Amino acid sequence: MSAIRAEGLDVRFGDIHAVRGASFAVAEGESFGIVGESGSGKSTVLRALAGLNPGWTGRIEIRGEAQGRRRTRAFHAAVQMVFQDPFGSLHPRHTVDRALAEPLAIQATGDAEARIERALAEVQLGPGFRFRYPHQLSGGQRQRVAIARALVLEPRILLLDEPTSALDVSIQAEVLNLLAELRRRRGLTYVLVSHNLAVVGHMCERIAVMNAGRIVEELDAASLRAGTPREAYTRQLLAASRGYDRAAAAGFRSFD
Amino acid sequence: MGDAPLVEVEDLHVRFHTRTGVVEAVRGLSFSLGREKLGVVGESGSGKSMTGRAILGLVPPPGEVTAARLAFAGQDLLRLDDAGMRAIRGRRISMVLQDPKFSLNPVMRVGDQVAEAYRQHHRANRTDARARAIAMLEQVRIRDARRVYDLHPHEVSGGMGQRIMIAMMLIPEPDVIIADEPTSALDVTVQMQVLAILDDLVTQRGMGLVFISHDLALVGSFCDRVVVMYGGRAMETLAARDLAGASHPYTRGLLSCLPSLDKPVAALPTLVRDPAWMGR
Amino acid sequence: MAARDWLLAPTPGSRLQSRLGQAYLRWLAFRSNPLACVGLAIVVALLLLALLAPLVATHDPLAQSLARRLRPPSAEHFFGTDALGRDIFSRIVHGARITLLVVLVVVVTVGPIGLLVGAVAGYAGGALDTVLMRVTDIFLAFPRLILALAFVAALGPGIENAVIAIAFTAWPPYARVARAEAMVIRNADYIAATRLQGASPARIVLRHVMPLCVPSLIVRSTLDMAGIILTAAGLGFLGLGAQPPMPEWGAMIATGRDYIFDQWWVATMPGIAICVVALGFNLLGDGLRDVLDPKQGQ
Repeated sequence: MSAIRAEGLDVRFGDIHAVRGASFAVAEGESFGIVGESGSGKSTVLRALAGLNPGWTGRIEIRGEAQGRRRTRAFHAAVQMVFQDPFGSLHPRHTVDRALAEPLAIQATGDAEARIERALAEVQLGPGFRFRYPHQLSGGQRQRVAIARALVLEPRILLLDEPTSALDVSIQAEVLNLLAELRRRRGLTYVLVSHNLAVVGHMCERIAVMNAGRIVEELDAASLRAGTPREAYTRQLLAASRGYDRAAAAGFRSFD
Repeated sequence: MGDAPLVEVEDLHVRFHTRTGVVEAVRGLSFSLGREKLGVVGESGSGKSMTGRAILGLVPPPGEVTAARLAFAGQDLLRLDDAGMRAIRGRRISMVLQDPKFSLNPVMRVGDQVAEAYRQHHRANRTDARARAIAMLEQVRIRDARRVYDLHPHEVSGGMGQRIMIAMMLIPEPDVIIADEPTSALDVTVQMQVLAILDDLVTQRGMGLVFISHDLALVGSFCDRVVVMYGGRAMETLAARDLAGASHPYTRGLLSCLPSLDKPVAALPTLVRDPAWMGR
Repeated sequence: MAARDWLLAPTPGSRLQSRLGQAYLRWLAFRSNPLACVGLAIVVALLLLALLAPLVATHDPLAQSLARRLRPPSAEHFFGTDALGRDIFSRIVHGARITLLVVLVVVVTVGPIGLLVGAVAGYAGGALDTVLMRVTDIFLAFPRLILALAFVAALGPGIENAVIAIAFTAWPPYARVARAEAMVIRNADYIAATRLQGASPARIVLRHVMPLCVPSLIVRSTLDMAGIILTAAGLGFLGLGAQPPMPEWGAMIATGRDYIFDQWWVATMPGIAICVVALGFNLLGDGLRDVLDPKQGQ
């Protein structure tokens, strides 16, 4: 049984066909990456998996159970998400403590005090951070709080939408290490969306490449690193992420 | 680099006098720029953006700029009055900013904005300026420049908007361009294409380019020389091709903590910040 | 000082400490704005006057003395006397109570209703938003004074009916402000995160969206208060609000109209009182906006 299975996922926003017939499966405990440029539909896929987009068609199965428009409480306890912008993912008027207590209150989970302390410790934020407001935290600290909030309900699946794109490179390294460690320790399943091939290649075992709403190619990290992707689009993306090369840049074309 | 440097910066300080004390954004930075591509790299809070603004006299109040020497083509920028600075801004030294959404006037046609950039610094009638604007748009590889001339900023893509910004900044034919994260908001393939355009134009015209960015790898592959900043100071200044063999621990740390497709690691090395780097 | 250190501690030990610390920082920011402090001082003075009216007033506001009518300001009667020989100073002081009552009742009823309607409409969108906004438009279409006239015709004159009339027409702008804020907030990632935790829309609106709309509404209310005072005074002036012998400031101006040239103090003193209080609320509102505006950060 896969942790996640999507078949023929199609998402439209009015006239815009954001995701066209995406199909993929993620095994339990696997780290799956979705990489693409802006407008490729990668974030839309993630939000559709999370149940944040009502306008999707196709089939989504989470741990074997087909999902409908509304998600159940069991779904919310099993699947959580970390968002891109550390400045926008925490409620500006809630302390860290309140941000972590809220999901526990909604799910009526007991033992809140202990869980909150544990969650903060796991993301390596000391108890002194517990009653700070988001504007009193740095970008990296906010992202750690966001991760703690996602973990406080002890989910099995974590959806990560560009979790480090807005962070400094040195902070990114710390957060990526933290995410890798958490996954290892808790046996979590990750779906990581990013525009950065190096990040996805580092964090994920299998990768789907998206362009203009379609999954262009699925490959494993080793093939990506070896530079042997099948599709021209993927090869172009790979070349572009290797740094500036005047000759290579001349050969870039649009794949729309 | 036989000729005299275009921009000379010596012991630059940018201080902000706030209610809670003095905040130093730049603390004693020195570098020079010739007809080359110079990268200024740092993380957030390193003072790299303030450096660019200080050269152009665009540091917002309550900021204060002091330096032992801040000169452009031999002319002392610190002693220049407002009129003198205005003559230099745009005409001799231009600035390209990060997001075209915020730098382009949303209610004006993009072509008109490029034409206006020309007319601000050269005497020309409207037909002349329009013709030059179209020529400039073609130089930044915008196909169908006549059609694009009539579009508004919201009707063009990010990459095209950035190319229009570059056109606006290059049309007065400046000697120096300061580009503050000019491609950070763009997709990676578009980024490469825009950088290629910038590369060609800068080399053809013999301009100096200050490329401010947080992306050390990109700067290393695009620029000729690199200044690595941390906490308002330069940690190291070196040739881009020598980056892999950098000696300063901050530069080495910054390079090694990047995830790499070529050298996979289990855990990324993290940067340990030595308080000595702040030089206190 | 130990208290200041406790409030500004970088690692607060409890929610209360954190909240108080933030409030203290806001107070410091507010205090550094001189005009805002002037506004606050005026409003506090109004409150104190209203509370301590019997102590501050020199005479009985309702006591008439035809022998002493239309006396100019003097040591005995600070603001002079009116056409019935009543001390104007004491009437203004007692009138502060009425003014304050009108303002508080209107704001306390109008604020929450506007907030609820606006936040729900802004967050829900779609049909619910359309319906609520059309209802708001209907109320917005009524001109305040005309509606007051209608109320008075239906229910009879009196300060209570004047307050109802004002409240009826004052709430729509609050709903619009709240709706505008809610529409921006609903797209934020932190709201998406809360939805992902399984929160019901009611919980999201009440606990996450509405608290963020409150600062704009507070600012809007303080700025509106001046207008409410003037409207109540206007109704009083027309004889639709407070009825004689209540010392309502607008009514006082009305009765002083006949004597404006020779005994200017009868109408001018209450007029100045209204000006000062309206100005005070405006300055306070401006100061609050500078402090509460989330865009300015900290």
